Amino acid sequence: MVSAQSAEVGGPTRRRPPLPVKLVIAGGFGVGKTTTVGSISEISPLTTEADMTSAAAGIDDASQVPGKRTTTVAMDFGCITIDESLKLYLFGTPGQDRFGFMWDDLAIGAIGALVIVDSRRLDDCYPAVDYFERLGLPFVVAVNRFDGAVAHDLPSIRWALAVDDAVPLITFDARDKLSVRDALLVVLDRALAKARAAQTKR
Amino acid sequence: MTRDKTPTERTAGALVRPFLSGPSDGAGGADGARGVRGADDQADAPVPDGALRPFLLTAGRVAGQDSIAIETQVVTTDSGRTAVDQLGFERRDIVSLCGNPLSVAEIAAQLSLHLGVVRVLVGDLSADGHLSVYLPNADASTDVDTLLRVIRGLRAIG
Repeated sequence: MVSAQSAEVGGPTRRRPPLPVKLVIAGGFGVGKTTTVGSISEISPLTTEADMTSAAAGIDDASQVPGKRTTTVAMDFGCITIDESLKLYLFGTPGQDRFGFMWDDLAIGAIGALVIVDSRRLDDCYPAVDYFERLGLPFVVAVNRFDGAVAHDLPSIRWALAVDDAVPLITFDARDKLSVRDALLVVLDRALAKARAAQTKR
Repeated sequence: MTRDKTPTERTAGALVRPFLSGPSDGAGGADGARGVRGADDQADAPVPDGALRPFLLTAGRVAGQDSIAIETQVVTTDSGRTAVDQLGFERRDIVSLCGNPLSVAEIAAQLSLHLGVVRVLVGDLSADGHLSVYLPNADASTDVDTLLRVIRGLRAIG
């Protein structure tokens, strides 16, 4: 299996690190990305910072967020140890209107993406849906059941988002570990189907 | 001339914070009390006075380490362990931290350093032989066996 090895640069070491794989958790501002990561991550979500490109800075709608004045974005992430040689990272996209270079950083080489939707603010997730469609990354749209309720039924949401019928549309509870796990498994199913299709083509 | 900034200077927007706010206000710490606060509200945190521009730490270099993905695993080498006392500041912190494998993203978060800065420093330390950098396998995310392992691992979570 090719994938078990990663290229080593630098000197020798005693312990071989696990192979990292990553999943992107995307969605609009305040849809529950950090909650989702925190529900299933074995470490409490960490936050790191990176710059936005000036192009993204122009799009980042600071006028709507009083007191916001830097072009630095924060990004949350967590991880799950699959086994001693495989570690799954969950990266939450920064809450920006559009994807700056950070989004490429997160999405390239990822297994797939979970696009979280608040059914009361559907349009917040359009940029994420567009981005993953264009990139060809397997993704799943997951409606976060805030307070156990979804504002619209799933067929209406699918119609409003205009996503392909092949894209799974599910509901989940970002606060519930097993619900998050099941949502991630739907992403994995999509990724697996795509990988198998590519394998038979070869 | 006082150290106090005028409101205009404060909101100039030119400052790029090198560090997260300290653990004292709960923003950068790994404490559970932080709960669901995260990236979305980080952006509103006030710019601390005396903040350095982040790439001061790298002598202004920002480019050249694009190949180091955020999930890249980093481990301190024997040479790094020996040299740790001769290294300065952030470089020493990184070498001290990576006794066990850590991702570049985790290094940035734990040391409250800018992700781009960590990339440059990790690249330098790797070139000096103090760190081993394991570039992630680009095909892993589309490898059927790897995906099946991830699925089994997730199903085991109960």
